[in-house]
Amino acid sequence: MNNLLEIENAHVYIGSFYILQGISLVVPKGEVTLLLGRNGSGKTTTMKTILGIYPPREGSITFKGENIAQLPTHKIVNKGMGYVPDTRRIFGSLSVEQNLIVSRRKGTSQDEMQERMELIFDLFPDMRRFLKQRAGTLSGGQQQMLAVARALVNNNELLLIDEPTEGLSPLLAKNLIASLDRLKEFATILLVEQNFRAVSKLGDNYYIFDSGKIVHEGDNMAALIEDKKLVAQYLGVSI
Amino acid sequence: MQRINFTIQDYLEENPQIRRITRYVVFIAFIVLTGLAIYYAIEIYTWNGFIVGVSKSLVNGLALSMLLFLMVSGFFLIFGLCDVINFAHGAFFMLGGFLGFVLYIATEAVFLDPALPFYLIFGSNYFVLSIAAFTVSALGATAIMALIGGGIEFFTIRRLYGNPIAQILLTVGFMFIITQVAEIFFGPSQFSYFIIPNSQITYFFISGALDFGGGMIFSSYRIFLIFLGFTVAGLMFLGFRRTRIGLQIQAGIEDSEMVEALGTNIRRLFTIVFMLGAGLAGLSGAVLVPWIGANSGHGLTYLIYAFVIVVVGGAHYGRFEGTFFGALIVGLSMQFAAYFVPFLESVIVFIIMAIILIIRPGGLTGHE
Repeated sequence: MNNLLEIENAHVYIGSFYILQGISLVVPKGEVTLLLGRNGSGKTTTMKTILGIYPPREGSITFKGENIAQLPTHKIVNKGMGYVPDTRRIFGSLSVEQNLIVSRRKGTSQDEMQERMELIFDLFPDMRRFLKQRAGTLSGGQQQMLAVARALVNNNELLLIDEPTEGLSPLLAKNLIASLDRLKEFATILLVEQNFRAVSKLGDNYYIFDSGKIVHEGDNMAALIEDKKLVAQYLGVSI
Repeated sequence: MQRINFTIQDYLEENPQIRRITRYVVFIAFIVLTGLAIYYAIEIYTWNGFIVGVSKSLVNGLALSMLLFLMVSGFFLIFGLCDVINFAHGAFFMLGGFLGFVLYIATEAVFLDPALPFYLIFGSNYFVLSIAAFTVSALGATAIMALIGGGIEFFTIRRLYGNPIAQILLTVGFMFIITQVAEIFFGPSQFSYFIIPNSQITYFFISGALDFGGGMIFSSYRIFLIFLGFTVAGLMFLGFRRTRIGLQIQAGIEDSEMVEALGTNIRRLFTIVFMLGAGLAGLSGAVLVPWIGANSGHGLTYLIYAFVIVVVGGAHYGRFEGTFFGALIVGLSMQFAAYFVPFLESVIVFIIMAIILIIRPGGLTGHE
């Protein structure tokens, strides 16, 4: 069993809007899978569908060989998923440390959390410094570190990371991608990213979304970047 | 009134310069008016009378504030986490009062029954008996209301999350049902029930008054209420800072979907918060009985206070502490008005609410 997560023909509605129109994808264990595409093409919805926030009306989602399509969100997450949402969504009124405490799940003991904290500090040494600070007062880059750290508190096999570099300066974005690169050792990653060139070295496989469908998939990022036609059609900035 | 209020708000929103000036004007006017009020109060009541009035209003106001805080913090939690405006909260509070009253009288009767072993423990030590009966009544009212609140959430409101109109209709319905049930058993709001004279032993453990001389006489029960309120508020404050579930509730008030996406069973947290909120309403209702009594009209009266306090303290995205200060403002202003300007007693809180909304539209701690 090489695939940690498999989505088979998922159809998702939000209210009366037909958003995902039959998505099928696989996330191989230990690799980084990229979801690419323009705004509104269904990448974030795919993330939320996996998490059970928008359960599919049709189709199956298999995580570690088990169908999770109709489970409530907290049960899905407890099977070993960490979520880094696109707008960070840290809890601004709590301190950084309290944000991490809230993220610890029942299945993770205090001792385990301490071990994971070492990993977090190893990845983001700066976090030691602002651990007691109120999360709402952090800078954008620091908030993004916290959002990623929150997904690392528990020993998750799959990390769902949505637009981590959004709104960060190029240098901060580069540092963050370097941290994600190191995370590959610890977990399988499903990554949504607008700036696909920045993550081209990180990604093992990719899927390109357009209007709620997967229009292209592959495992050679270098070839994708060279493919001018494909890039212009689905990934370039349209005016 | 509300429409005028919105117009003023809109106008100030568009003209920040004028808003800043109004702020200063309001601040200076406030100080001048307070000064004048104090001056005339001293003229009318003499210095001694003024001091007595102030200290009495302060004690009564603090006691009322603490009661209101206990009740409204439950309302605030339910609103903050579950996004449900619980119109039945005042009715929970009122029902808590009757439960406290009935439980006190019943527990006392059980303790006094010569056929039961309790009689051997307490004998004719009415002081300890009264403390025990009061503790049972307060904790019992809390527990029963927590069960009722949790039950209402579990069986009805749970199905209506994301549908605010239905929630409002449902909770308004519960308010009427609970009020009607209370009226069937205890009669309309003309009747207030106090522990004394209904108690068999006509004795209550904190019934006396503390006399500091010079007319400074304070009912000991109200001082006890202040301590009780501060203790529970302190415990809650610690609970929200230190415990995981407290932090989860706080985080959930900010973003409940994210809390769930981190692996917390948010539905269970909602039920817990409903139980906590209704329990707090029950506790505050029960401890009100020896002072203001249990009354079937309290449901609506205190619901309105709850609204005022939450709005003053900062409703959405507001902080928990806002409720505390909101309760202090409402409780103190009502009691001060009751002593010095009795004709303003019933409207002063609304005047203050309007002023605060004009200066800070988001309430004391909320975002503007």
